[in-house]
Amino acid sequence: MNTNSNLYTVIYTSVVCVLVAAILAFVSQALAPHQEANEKAETISQILTAARFADKSEWDSKGNDAILSFYKENVEKAWLVNARGEESGTLDISKAEIVTVSGLKKQNYAIKDGSELSLPVYRFKNGITVVPIYGAGLWGPVWGYIAFQSDLKTIAGAYFDHESETPGLGGKIKDDPAFRAQFDGNYPDFKGTKDEVFEIVKGGSPKDKEGKDVADNKIDAITGATMTSKGLDEAIDTWLEAYKPILNR
Amino acid sequence: MDAKLKETILNPIFKGNPITVLVLGICSSLAVTVEMKGACVMALSVILVTGLSSLVCSLLRKTIPNRVRIIIQLVVVALMVILVDQFLKAYAYGIDKQLSVYIGLIITNCIVMGRIEAFALSNKPLPSLLDGLANGAGYGLILIVVAFFRELLGSGTLFGLPVLSALGYTNNGLVILPPMALIILGCIVWIQRAIQKDLQEK
Amino acid sequence: MNPLRKLVDQIKPTFEKGGKLGFLHSTFDAFETFMFVPNTVTRKGSHIRDCVDIKRVMIIMVLALVPAFFFSIWNIGYQHTLAFGLKDWGFWNIVGYGLMKIIPLYLVTYIVGLAIEFASAQIKGHEVNEGYLVTGFILPLIVPVDVPLWMLAVATAFAVIIGKEVFGGTGMNIWNPALLARAFLFFSYPSSMSGDYAWIGGLQKASEGGIPWASGSGVIVDGFSGATPLANASMQGLADHGYNFWNLFVGNIPGAVGETSAIAILLGAILIVWTGVASWKIMVSGIAGGLLVGWVGFIGGATDIPCWYQLVMGGFLFGIVFMATDPVTSAQTECGKWVYGFLVGAICVLVRLFNPGYAEGMMLAILLMNTFAPLIDHYVIEASIKRQARKKVKIA
Repeated sequence: MNTNSNLYTVIYTSVVCVLVAAILAFVSQALAPHQEANEKAETISQILTAARFADKSEWDSKGNDAILSFYKENVEKAWLVNARGEESGTLDISKAEIVTVSGLKKQNYAIKDGSELSLPVYRFKNGITVVPIYGAGLWGPVWGYIAFQSDLKTIAGAYFDHESETPGLGGKIKDDPAFRAQFDGNYPDFKGTKDEVFEIVKGGSPKDKEGKDVADNKIDAITGATMTSKGLDEAIDTWLEAYKPILNR
Repeated sequence: MDAKLKETILNPIFKGNPITVLVLGICSSLAVTVEMKGACVMALSVILVTGLSSLVCSLLRKTIPNRVRIIIQLVVVALMVILVDQFLKAYAYGIDKQLSVYIGLIITNCIVMGRIEAFALSNKPLPSLLDGLANGAGYGLILIVVAFFRELLGSGTLFGLPVLSALGYTNNGLVILPPMALIILGCIVWIQRAIQKDLQEK
Repeated sequence: MNPLRKLVDQIKPTFEKGGKLGFLHSTFDAFETFMFVPNTVTRKGSHIRDCVDIKRVMIIMVLALVPAFFFSIWNIGYQHTLAFGLKDWGFWNIVGYGLMKIIPLYLVTYIVGLAIEFASAQIKGHEVNEGYLVTGFILPLIVPVDVPLWMLAVATAFAVIIGKEVFGGTGMNIWNPALLARAFLFFSYPSSMSGDYAWIGGLQKASEGGIPWASGSGVIVDGFSGATPLANASMQGLADHGYNFWNLFVGNIPGAVGETSAIAILLGAILIVWTGVASWKIMVSGIAGGLLVGWVGFIGGATDIPCWYQLVMGGFLFGIVFMATDPVTSAQTECGKWVYGFLVGAICVLVRLFNPGYAEGMMLAILLMNTFAPLIDHYVIEASIKRQARKKVKIA
């Protein structure tokens, strides 16, 4: 057979394309539930870590089912809010419905261009409320969750993740527990401009004579990761500003 | 035939190593060698992709129209890469998150296409499979050696477990940055050429 | 013939090829030529006879660095007294503290660097080159005074091996070795190389609760920050810390060991320009480049610091005078030197204005332009060849 004829080439490429597409479609269908469950469990474990139920490594060792059932037991209410802080939808607790990172990305665009928002809020039975943040780091997106005490003002904990920050430098927003721990007990400050809601700056808060922090909305940036710190700072400012109506100022 | 097969397997590991001798696949070896875990998974993925795509292309070699052979090869490689990515997403989510971009970039890794073009299209399926696997292994070996030094000196750990950091070692930030991967790679090339004098350029 | 020459001649055969200690030939040769002008003669090609060889050039470079060196001894001590409020310290106390801080830096760079130079010369059977004398003299002057000595040792080893020996030793290196060592320190151990504590002797230790040597109580003066003028990066910041143009020009400010004083550096510049060791073209065009970008940035609102401040802040002058002009790593063609110098100055100020993460742009600017120097030369030569060819056509 002449494998170089036009007809043969066209038929051959068409068959290969259809075949490959079929294989991919099948595999993707077959694996989709697994992948979605993974992503969901990962997101929930990050929310739970931010709320200080347990450390991230502990969740990872527990497995997807344990994470989901823990979440279902402890969450009191999960809902969506719009830009005015009004409830615009609910998330089904019994199905452990949440907004994943790709959802946050869409909302991030919505915040930027001022269109209608539906931002997720998770309230747990112990009074802690968790909200997500999302923004751009140095190499790719950074996101995370900030947990507030029942006064909806004081930060109870935080957890951050990233797609491709440099391990050991920008990656510390996720890997360095000391960085995350700085958030505890601080609170956002909505009195100034939008950029001053929360600040991640070199040196952190100015200190008074006894070495105590003067400002409660400033924490120390990561040495050698200026751009990641800046990106995270901006993400927190943008998103907390969007959540302003439901937070206590 | 036996000796030839042995040569097919052993050559890419050391004497004709795709990274240090052919200088292919440098991009990903700089990017994914920060930690051992990532490097090992990447190495395994590349071994799988090179092996399987070489096998498939070798099986198809008599039917592939010459004019579109590069595109057909590319489709086969892309298929394998996407399959590996999908499986990692389903069964090794944590590692996939870390590697996601680079798994996708295996498609552009010159080693894969290079081996198909140079070997699989003119050889029987079994030698092609072995050639693909061995080239992937040669790539993976260098990846793991570089990652060993980078994780050890950069973070003081191996596979995330404290080794040097337990001894009060101060982490070296430069080792974590890509330039140091290039320097370590250069040192490996240096050592290899010192051992194998016939590789030295006059 | 003096007795030393006699002694050297007497033991020379032992170190020649076939002698008892023949394998130490390189080491012996290094010491002999260090003391006496070698009697080797050029054998082929046309040449101009001159007593200037690499050794004399290097010694002039070292002499040019001496003012900055002496000033730094005093400034280290002076900054220490400011930080700890030691108003009763006299001149000798200050100098004593400075010496105590600077001598270990020199010991480490010279011991590590020369050990590697001698070892590699032995292995390759080359003569030991003098290039390291200057590198080793510059390196302690461009690091923070409190840099841990082991870090300095690692950085020196890295720069000499990876930056110089693998390319074939002195004269073959692509990048300035002293700057390479600094870059290594800067990227490897950013927390020890930046921040407000690194630049003043004893401050790091005191901030961690320890008692720095010779400071008495170890209490930092209230409100003393230790930030370098460069780190403040705004007119307000400069004024808040009491810095003005005169301070920056004299150099009684925090900063890397020897880079602070413009006066001391300019004294050295006069010497090396006058003796023709370094190119004045690179210096002039570098300063022009820095001024231009500084001015555009000032007009455009990227900074509120007037452009002439850029020249006296940080390592700008030190870099442009002593390191950008390094004859090995800079552009070789006369026209290329203008381009090279201009870009060094311009890129330095660009980095300062637009990358707050790496406040010191000089290091990055020089290393980057070192990389591009051969390319600049290539195009200059190409253009020259084309011009010549056109002339010829006209005549014909």
